[in-house]
Amino acid sequence: MKKIGIIIDKYHLKYKVTDFLRYLKSKADVKIYIEESFLLSSENLNFDEDLFFIKAKGDLILTFIKLIEDQTSIPVINSYKGTWLAINRFLNSVYLKKAGIPIPDFSLNPKGIVPPFRDYIIKNIIDQKNYKFKPVVHKENGQLRVADERALNEVDKTDPKYNYLYYQQFIKSKWEYKIYGIGDEVYFFKQLPILVSPNKTESRREIDEISELKEYCYKAMEVMNLKLTSLDFLKAKEQFFLTDINCTPNFNYIKDGHKIVADFLLKQAKK
Amino acid sequence: MNIGILSKRKTMMTGKLKDYLENKGYTVSIYTLENLIINGTLLNNDLYILKSKSLFFLYAGFFLEANNIPVIPNPQISFLQKNRIQSHFLMKRVGLLAPEIYLGTIETFKNQLDLKDFPFILKPIMGSGSKGVRIIRSCEDLKSENNTILYLEKYIKGIHYNVYFIDNDICTLIKPPLSNEHVDMKKIETPDDIRDVIKKWNDYFKGDVLFGHLDIVREEANNKLYVVDPGSFPEFTNWKCNISPVESICNLIIDKYKKLHKNHNNN
Repeated sequence: MKKIGIIIDKYHLKYKVTDFLRYLKSKADVKIYIEESFLLSSENLNFDEDLFFIKAKGDLILTFIKLIEDQTSIPVINSYKGTWLAINRFLNSVYLKKAGIPIPDFSLNPKGIVPPFRDYIIKNIIDQKNYKFKPVVHKENGQLRVADERALNEVDKTDPKYNYLYYQQFIKSKWEYKIYGIGDEVYFFKQLPILVSPNKTESRREIDEISELKEYCYKAMEVMNLKLTSLDFLKAKEQFFLTDINCTPNFNYIKDGHKIVADFLLKQAKK
Repeated sequence: MNIGILSKRKTMMTGKLKDYLENKGYTVSIYTLENLIINGTLLNNDLYILKSKSLFFLYAGFFLEANNIPVIPNPQISFLQKNRIQSHFLMKRVGLLAPEIYLGTIETFKNQLDLKDFPFILKPIMGSGSKGVRIIRSCEDLKSENNTILYLEKYIKGIHYNVYFIDNDICTLIKPPLSNEHVDMKKIETPDDIRDVIKKWNDYFKGDVLFGHLDIVREEANNKLYVVDPGSFPEFTNWKCNISPVESICNLIIDKYKKLHKNHNNN
């Protein structure tokens, strides 16, 4: 039996992987490392797993991935590079844009300096914690300004505290396109944007393949070294824009997603 | 030529670099966290000097490089030195000794750390120098909010060195443990094994590291050298050797820029 290590935090363990773990445990030996109760030591390299699967993105998790990648030959999904870039919103915007994927205009500004575009959404800079997107919307003289509450907290209140805000040009789109990449397989959904319909799952539906989005998905996975991802796109004037990329996607939205991911991991394992 | 300097402050080394370069005929702008806007407006300079390596300066460096504007020192190498996790594994790749590291919550440390292993050094994951660094002699010294993950390093007992290097010049000083670069330090003749550490470090980067410093500890028990903190662009406050740091660094940066520019044009 293959041995799979799951590196996870309490939140994901409690809410996101019940079916996945039940299925995986029927196929493999599973060992779970929980961020909040694991002591990570650079001296301890006694791992006999055939693959590690990452389902969180905190500091200990990042170190754990780095340790496995640098000091062992055990495959890790997702990689350090992919996870690091996914949580650093500005960096992934820079590299995905350079790779030719359309990204809405973006700017990183000190608080108080407005961006060079009219309608915008303020997003968190480090997307490392398990909060949900909470929009704060302002409309004034026809100008639309949306802010993620987490981003405002970063600049005004709690740790991490910066003097900076990440601005992304606002894209008015009828639908939000949610694309999942699991290895070579790509799954396509659409839903009403969260500002239109706060309950995102209510309007979510599976859609036919869109070849343009499939290409962007492959390209993003290649650039960021991700084997498993979800991408959010908006569409304006027949042009898709990638607005978010995630390294720990919730695959429960895909029919049999837990089985698809578990089977993919088993194929990627060493033995 | 227009040069931008990405720096926390406009004074000290940054101010001196600006004065020197302006005297040489260059137009120099300093970008601090008060006026640094990271978007296409940055692309109007020909070269950037990455004096500080806090997160937003690194972001600016990566953005500029992605847009083919040279940044010296190299942002990726600076990041590897700024992020202590990256730095730890970098040392191992270079073939240098680094103290063992531990990460966990306070509860994890209390339950799983062995008392005989104390003391440790608590450090911020993104950091350099002595800011936020504390010695931890027991679990009672650990404090954090919200079950934060803490980063500890094994404390190496021994002689602490601050070793500056600019090109082939090395300036070695003995420093008090956990002190910053600016305290008074005693210059010593650079021992051969420290010279070897600096050579190994520079060789690894194949000419991409022009200057910098390493904090090194010689372990009392066995005389081994551990690198405890690398720095990509110190203030050189305690430089006590012959050459002028400002002049040498500016010349190295301009020479490097010319080489990069020439290679770019040839390609």
